[in-house]
Amino acid sequence: MPVRSIGALALAAALAMPTASLAFDESKYPDLKGQWTRAREPILGGGQAPFDPSKPTGRGQQAPLTPEYQAIYEANLADQATGGQGNWQGGKCYPVGVPGVMTLYRAMEIVITPATTYILIEHLHGTARRIYTDGRDWPKQIEPTFDGYSIGKWIDEDGDGKYDVLEVETRHLRGPRAYDPSGIPFHEDNKTIVKERLALDKRDRDLLYNQMTVIDNALTRPWTVLKKYRREPAVQPIWHEDICAEGQALIRVGKEEYFQSWDGYLMPIRKNQAPPDLRYFEPGK
Amino acid sequence: MRRRLPWLLAGGIALATGAAASAHHSAAMFDAENPVELAGTVREFKYTSPHTFIVLEVKEPGGASKIWMLEGNAPSNLVREGWWHDTLKPGDEIRLTVQPLRSGAPGGSWNSSRIKFNDGRPVVLAP
Repeated sequence: MPVRSIGALALAAALAMPTASLAFDESKYPDLKGQWTRAREPILGGGQAPFDPSKPTGRGQQAPLTPEYQAIYEANLADQATGGQGNWQGGKCYPVGVPGVMTLYRAMEIVITPATTYILIEHLHGTARRIYTDGRDWPKQIEPTFDGYSIGKWIDEDGDGKYDVLEVETRHLRGPRAYDPSGIPFHEDNKTIVKERLALDKRDRDLLYNQMTVIDNALTRPWTVLKKYRREPAVQPIWHEDICAEGQALIRVGKEEYFQSWDGYLMPIRKNQAPPDLRYFEPGK
Repeated sequence: MRRRLPWLLAGGIALATGAAASAHHSAAMFDAENPVELAGTVREFKYTSPHTFIVLEVKEPGGASKIWMLEGNAPSNLVREGWWHDTLKPGDEIRLTVQPLRSGAPGGSWNSSRIKFNDGRPVVLAP
């Protein structure tokens, strides 16, 4: 039989076959649609939402830091006490990154597709975490990012044919990052690994838990916290734009922060703060 | 007009700042222990994120004006309390309590629970 005929037969056979089904069976996955915000719990000790919501802010977090990094944390707190920003990078419009971004200082949207689950948060910068659930292995070479590279796995814990838990591991993070606005530091080697288990409450399907475990060389042991998220009731929630460069008055010059006046000039933040260093300006010009 | 309130709240509970919920930056630059009361005219209300801003012209004793740059909470939080981009307009006369910059420069942090029109009306009615 001529090659052309064999090819024609093969083509006809292929066209006759039913196309492979790419249907996404949504019913196998938990309903995580909608807008999620941080569950309204009192912030113990006041201030801004900490990494561990069950403990007071700042030193009350009892972060299991090594002595070296506890000293770095204390120096950061001393700087913040006089008006500085310490280790917290948000004032420079840097992304919070993983794991801090999962405290949900802004609302979150979760989009599930067969190969990837997306976590979308617009806070200082548009975070679009991609959690790959296609069974891939860790790439041999990857560019580190503030949100890291995440591989996940859906788990049917109760054997009912539906997934209950999304387990995630995130690596390849970069800094500078801190856990929360009090400035709890990560190790400068950026070899942080973050593990997460996301699951809906069994009775309240509008309550989502995220058990996060951080493994980092600045810690004496893995640090596990439980975060809770609440699904907002609005059917068509508002998603606010967050453009850090537009909505902030902090300006950093050298190692100092200043506050921008209404007419665009620098104002001191601390008592007796020196004016900015003008070393690159020629005097008299 | 400006009035210093040496200790507004007892019990060590700090007046929540505009920075509190946004986690954009540490709020330590604002003096939570020595809030001040300001009364003045809105020059501009910037409905931006991560912070809104009220630009407030305050008449000082003697007749001179000082213009304050006051940082507030993000729209995503304010909208829950009924705020919108045109809730405050240029010319509005308001009175509010702020946590000032530690340096004494005319900047600070305002909170939606401590602001009213000068005639006593609330700026927004709770939704």
